[in-house]
Amino acid sequence: MATETPLKEFIPELDYEKEMKRWTHLFKALNDPEPWVGHSPRNEVWQKNKSILWYYPAKQKKYKIPLFFVYSLFNKPYILDIAPKTSVIEGLTNMGYEVYLLDWGSPGYEDKKIGLDTYIEKYLTTAVKRALRHSGADEITLVGYCLGGTIASIYASIAEEPIKNLIVATVPIDFQPFMGPDKWAVGMREGDMNIDHFIDVYGVVPPQLVDGMFRAIGAPVYFTNYTMLLSRAHDQRYVDKWRRMNKWTLDQVPFAGEAYKQLANDLFKENKLIKGELMIGNKKADLTNIKANLFVVSGSKDNLILEEQSKPIMELVSSVDKTYIVVETGHVGLALSGLFAKIVDQWVSSRSN
Amino acid sequence: MSDKISFDPYETLHKFSLLWEKQVNDFIYLWTNNKEFVKMTNLGTDIHARYLETFKKNQEALASVLNLPTKSDVINVANLTIQTEEKIEVLEEQMWNLQDSMKLQGKDIESVVEVSKEIIKLTKQLKSELVKTKKELTDSKNLQLELQEMKFELVKLNNFKAEFESLRGLIEKGNDADRELTEAGSRK
Repeated sequence: MATETPLKEFIPELDYEKEMKRWTHLFKALNDPEPWVGHSPRNEVWQKNKSILWYYPAKQKKYKIPLFFVYSLFNKPYILDIAPKTSVIEGLTNMGYEVYLLDWGSPGYEDKKIGLDTYIEKYLTTAVKRALRHSGADEITLVGYCLGGTIASIYASIAEEPIKNLIVATVPIDFQPFMGPDKWAVGMREGDMNIDHFIDVYGVVPPQLVDGMFRAIGAPVYFTNYTMLLSRAHDQRYVDKWRRMNKWTLDQVPFAGEAYKQLANDLFKENKLIKGELMIGNKKADLTNIKANLFVVSGSKDNLILEEQSKPIMELVSSVDKTYIVVETGHVGLALSGLFAKIVDQWVSSRSN
Repeated sequence: MSDKISFDPYETLHKFSLLWEKQVNDFIYLWTNNKEFVKMTNLGTDIHARYLETFKKNQEALASVLNLPTKSDVINVANLTIQTEEKIEVLEEQMWNLQDSMKLQGKDIESVVEVSKEIIKLTKQLKSELVKTKKELTDSKNLQLELQEMKFELVKLNNFKAEFESLRGLIEKGNDADRELTEAGSRK
């Protein structure tokens, strides 16, 4: 005989519909084919080795000076065009900008000798020349994201090409502050840790090791992205966003050995960029040579690149027109949310003729 | 509105996971953030690198004996491709320069043609003005001749006037003599 329990009021109700949605979405998220990324229409302008220069035409061209994106060597640049409506590139092309993106590609074992100087002198310089020729513009705006910002800044300090504006976001310029364990940094700088031989043997740093390095610095154990997905899996939009983000996070690229050694020794260990001692070919990459209008964006929730790492560029450059802002976002959130397009537009629209 | 709590343990699970993850990561941080760990890692990577290097050397030696291509051979081929790409790039840039200089020359030629057109126009204008001036010169010469003739006529007229005046004087003199003779006759 059924009896009514007095505890009935305290037993939570099960929302069957919500639970069905949650588990269906979760199952799909983990088993469906990878989401489609890079939806904005684009044309290939130039290709060299594995690098490709992409051109994204403006929906209705409003500005004479095109934007040239330089992305990090650690990840794939499709984070800038990850999903419709939140894509940075889509946002900018809709606002009337012509956008160029240099995709460095995935280096193979044969690219182990490619260093930062090669990337800058033989790839970036040529790509900028091609973009200028292709657009017919007299000047260009360089936009560097993360390590791409460092590369763009180094290039801007030695460039002969007409760079009107330089925009850098979440950029490491001063490599003295370090997010990871401080004793590791000391060990690297004092010579207790030398990975040159290790890198030479590998040739290119495998993507798993690149991923492992970032994990070691930030969070070696990381699984809360899955519990977060479980918690919000009933929301289709969140699941879609999560899948795209997850695909990008796991989609690491190998890192050319020579470039990695330069990054570790010249930039991290000896902090040559901030001292004005970094050599690119036979040119000194001195940031005081930068006269272009400068815009620096930092994320207050960035747990990879600290504000102190980006800010010194403001004092080092010779630019008269320079702006520094801090946005309440993380390292990837700035690009993932599409917020970066609005921030760039607000600053660059009046400086793009 | 119902006060009943709905079944949703996931948010709590996530919060606990965050706490647990943080604790584990903090523990790993404390465990690894020391000089000994750094030195051990260095030793580990060094041993790993040496082991891998020996393995690669053996692999290369074996591949050489078996006449098999290795990644080093792939590097050589890839380098050739990159070199070719770079040469094509240089050629392309030279073609751009040629195109640019040809465009510039074309513009120069256009401007020369424009200037020539202007010169021809100006010459024509000058020619017509010269003809006009010549005509005017002839006219002025004729006018000069006419003026000279007029001057000559005027001189002649002046002479005539002088003669006329002298004749008039003589006539007046004659008249006075006649009047005197008439008066003398009447008195007689």
